Amino acid sequence: MESLFVQLLVIGIKILVILGVVLGLGAYLTLVERKVAAHIQRRPGPMVVGWHGLLQPLADGLKLITKEDIFPRAGNRFLYNLALVLALVPAVLVFAVVPFGPEFEVFGVKVKPILTDVNVGLLLVFALGSMAVYAIALAGWASNSKYALIGSMRKAGIIVSYEVVITFAVMGPVILAGTLSTYEIVQQQINQKLWYIWLQPIAFVVYMFAMLAETGRVPFDIQEAEAELVTGFTVEYGGIKFGLFPLVEWYVEVLSLSAIAVVLFLGGWSPINIPFLGFIDPLFFLGPLSPFVWFILKVALLFLFVLWLHWTLPRYRIDQITETAWKVMLPLTFVNLVLTAVLAPIVWR
Amino acid sequence: MIKKVFEKPLSWFERIFFIDFIRGLSVTIRHAFSKTITTHYPYEKLTPPKRFRGFFGHKVVDGREPQPAFDEWVERFKIEVEPGRSRCVVCLLCKRACPVPQLFEIEGEKLPNGKRRVSVFNMNMLLCTFCGFCVDACPVDCLFQSDIHETASYSRKDSVLTLEVLERIGRDWQRRREKEPDRIWIDDAQRMRLWYENDLKLPEVKKQ
Repeated sequence: MESLFVQLLVIGIKILVILGVVLGLGAYLTLVERKVAAHIQRRPGPMVVGWHGLLQPLADGLKLITKEDIFPRAGNRFLYNLALVLALVPAVLVFAVVPFGPEFEVFGVKVKPILTDVNVGLLLVFALGSMAVYAIALAGWASNSKYALIGSMRKAGIIVSYEVVITFAVMGPVILAGTLSTYEIVQQQINQKLWYIWLQPIAFVVYMFAMLAETGRVPFDIQEAEAELVTGFTVEYGGIKFGLFPLVEWYVEVLSLSAIAVVLFLGGWSPINIPFLGFIDPLFFLGPLSPFVWFILKVALLFLFVLWLHWTLPRYRIDQITETAWKVMLPLTFVNLVLTAVLAPIVWR
Repeated sequence: MIKKVFEKPLSWFERIFFIDFIRGLSVTIRHAFSKTITTHYPYEKLTPPKRFRGFFGHKVVDGREPQPAFDEWVERFKIEVEPGRSRCVVCLLCKRACPVPQLFEIEGEKLPNGKRRVSVFNMNMLLCTFCGFCVDACPVDCLFQSDIHETASYSRKDSVLTLEVLERIGRDWQRRREKEPDRIWIDDAQRMRLWYENDLKLPEVKKQ
């Protein structure tokens, strides 16, 4: 009975920590993005609210909350609000299967820093990822606006194409690890002394492309192409409802997919890897904290890389995007799958 | 003759290793770590060039009027010349040149000694397009455009420049900038730097 209580307490704490960190970080990543974008364009970005604009997200949030919530006259109110929930919940739920570090012990209780170590974790990630298409399609449809509808249809097209690609890209690491559990995949990489990016460079590149496409980042931000569609499916949303969509799409989803990329290709919480030989840990002085720092560092670097890409590249046309998915990316993943099948016995040993 | 120029297609090497992406990324990363070049507007302000077309003003009589034009106009209209007051000779050429003439409200008055003087000179800046035709038309170098560009006001009434305001702007401008050499950027390190950074490499003209 007591162990059950402890278990529940641990799970409760984990949920609170993950929710707080993810949503708080999501809000602050807006500031990071604005700063990165500004410096790439040789501007200083927000500077006035707080030191170097540190309180800007709070000011933005306050402003968005106090704004009027306008609803289009001929829209469908139920679907309009449902789209918001459908966008936010799956994006945050993905963090349930993201392992942040190795198992550790506090007061004699063994804690795995992962909310649920289900043995089909990856399946869950991509199932939840495909839910995003519902949110966007509903948002476009319920707004009763042609801009929103066109934007959401474009995004739906992209997600449908890239879901297939991303699933096949992930197949490689899954074969090498022999499991679908995210925690176990990292454990396998540590046991095999190999980050899977060394054997799966094609899969990694394809995964990165698919990640950009799924989160609607440049060069695949065709769904909100501001020159043509104003802001795509968020046109008719106002106030904090408008603020939530980019928060979810551009920050929470990018974070979750970066975390999954780190788990699959960059060895999760393991330090720098020399293939088949071992790991070098320049952060050894942090002791038991080092794995967590490594994980956060990798995710942050990947996120910054996505931002860097976003503010560098121009946008592809919709036909070019889907063409790349079906004609280039998908065959590449098949080739990668065959290569992996050939190489896998070397890794398994 | 039309010269056709094709873009060189990407080679397979460039396609596979994303060389074009890498080139773009290297450009942006270099910019990201170089110094910002913006002005923090409400806290820092740039000095506009001397020829800036901002709010209007009336230059005042200070002995630097264009001669002999000023004396001729004064003689023709029997204008009372007072040092420190507007040079305006009420010729209405500015109103004639203006594409929106109703923005000018100009009246002269006759003094007891038989001479004349400008009494009302209102410019409604809400109608103005800042084209500067009136400045070109002014025969005595009285009306001019100053470097004042922060022109927001709380009511429509405030955006009408009266004779008094015009003279004040003129006096202020003559004190600050009249003697400045007529260059494009002046005494502004930030702008000077930008100007030299944009050092365009133009092909030299070959003399024949």
